[in-house]
Amino acid sequence: MGRGRRRHLRTYYGAAIWSRPAVVGAGRPDVAAEVFVIGLLEIRRRKVQFALITLVVTLISYLVLMINGLGVGLNEAAGSALRSFDADAIAYSDQAGLSVIRSELSAEVAGGIGEAAGAEESAPLGYVAANYRDSDGVVDSAAFLGFEPGTIAEPKVTGGRALEPGEDDGILADKTFLRASGLDVGDRVEVSVRLVRREFTIVGEIDEGQFFFQPAVYITRTAWQELKYGASGADVPFASVVLLKGDDLPGKRGEGFEAVSKSTAFANIEGVSGQQSTVTSLRVFGYVIGALVVGVFFYVLTLQKVPQIGVLKAIGASNFYVFRQVLGQVVVLAAIGIAVSVPLAWATYRALLQLPDAVPIAFTTGTYVTTCVALMVTAVIGALFSGRQVIKTDPIIALGQQQ
Amino acid sequence: MTTLRVRDLSKTYGSGEDAVHAVRGVSFESAPGEFLGLVGPSGSGKTTLLAMIGGLLTPTSGSIDVNGLEIGQLSGRQQAAYRRDRIGYVFQSNNLLPYLTARENLMVVRAIGAKGRGAAGQRADQLLEELGLTKRRNALATELSGGERQRVAIARALMNDPDLVLVDEPTASLDSARGKQVVKSLIEEVKGRGKLGIMVTHDLAMAELADRVLEMHDGELTRLREGVA
Repeated sequence: MGRGRRRHLRTYYGAAIWSRPAVVGAGRPDVAAEVFVIGLLEIRRRKVQFALITLVVTLISYLVLMINGLGVGLNEAAGSALRSFDADAIAYSDQAGLSVIRSELSAEVAGGIGEAAGAEESAPLGYVAANYRDSDGVVDSAAFLGFEPGTIAEPKVTGGRALEPGEDDGILADKTFLRASGLDVGDRVEVSVRLVRREFTIVGEIDEGQFFFQPAVYITRTAWQELKYGASGADVPFASVVLLKGDDLPGKRGEGFEAVSKSTAFANIEGVSGQQSTVTSLRVFGYVIGALVVGVFFYVLTLQKVPQIGVLKAIGASNFYVFRQVLGQVVVLAAIGIAVSVPLAWATYRALLQLPDAVPIAFTTGTYVTTCVALMVTAVIGALFSGRQVIKTDPIIALGQQQ
Repeated sequence: MTTLRVRDLSKTYGSGEDAVHAVRGVSFESAPGEFLGLVGPSGSGKTTLLAMIGGLLTPTSGSIDVNGLEIGQLSGRQQAAYRRDRIGYVFQSNNLLPYLTARENLMVVRAIGAKGRGAAGQRADQLLEELGLTKRRNALATELSGGERQRVAIARALMNDPDLVLVDEPTASLDSARGKQVVKSLIEEVKGRGKLGIMVTHDLAMAELADRVLEMHDGELTRLREGVA
């Protein structure tokens, strides 16, 4: 590219004019050598007005991102440990209505589920919410999950060591538990369920997430029996659920059990469906309000520009051409607003994580991408309000006559 | 050379007792390269007539023939293409886009897809030079004086190399000396290019700068006389 050409491009990009070489093509009798975008020039020349609109888009985008982050965070708190199970299905007692709290399986039923459902692998898992004393002696609660070492229910240890079979006084604590309790690997922790009290030693750290809005703690299945029922053996329930691995397992039913997918199991966690509908409603309201605000702002802007639109149409601009300018402005401003809101939301997320009482918030790349795309689509939908006004504008107003 | 034939042209708004006959049975022809003045009191129908010739309004009856093209029969989209490619408008209050420079206001005509001679930038620069606006080419429309704005509007009207230049009260926002100067340069530019021009004005002194003057009253063409051009 020659110096002259480079200077030409720099000049026009600098002036926010999109410049490109001439294209002599069909249907265009004479295409200008310098094609420029009126909508973008208007943004550049009316900075304050468009900056205010961008600010509004940024705030709405930030709000929706935070709502989505909180929604994802709540889901994580509700049962990220369940999602982390190395299983394709979860079998409940057929009397439990897919409630982990109410599900109790006898040794006979639990032992037969794997074969009856046609699973390749199966593992019993017990659940009980138990109290513990944190490093300051304050009582808090956690989700205690009883598993058998060496099965698919065994969590992956990220620090310390794994539990040995029969090591009934050891626990694997999730990092959320360690953070909330102030305890560490090697510490002793006192755990109680009703009148049952036991002491455990934290032998390893895991990263499985939370269960029932509580940090997950893994103990041996027999320790779980003793914690929940005060005894182990054949006289007490063998497990709460059975994890199953294999094909086509969800929907299988048999003697005393029913198997469902992990997503169905997640949706049936007490409180999750209500929480999800609340979060979904907040998201939808966020998008709808976003579309309305962007739409109204650009509609008002378009109303202010009716005389100019009339002139453009009077000199032969098509509705599509004029609408393209508005749409281009909406896309550019929405892109800027969204781009600014993402680091803002991320910074807020990092700040919230530093709070002593953790706010259930989580961001994933998927959250960002989905939210940003949805907001862009929302903004474009909002721009359609203006499209109607563009079509309605009669070019005769350029001659000072009423429509 | 552009020819214009208007035959028994009428425009009626509303119907029945509420009907308003804005233009009634107007007929005239223009000679190639002619500049016409259109005068009459407010409400006499001159702007409506101009709008119909310019494809901004569809006639109720009658015909408008521009170089063999029947304007009254065009669809909305065809009307827009006709305005874009064959008409140059100079509006009453110049109606430049305020956030664009003088040069960019000319470039808009090509940006919307109008044809024209040469590359848009060169053409704009050439027109601005011819109208003595080269030094003001990068000034925003809001920074231009009334006379400069009107000259930019004239240049914009010539940007697509139109068959027909339609001018609506070009001197409304100018004092009489400057107005006369603008109209003279307008006529010179239009006639110099062999285009046909029609100028609506209240000002008889301005109208008489045209080749012929058409007078309207209550929607009818009442008089046709020679100008001084």
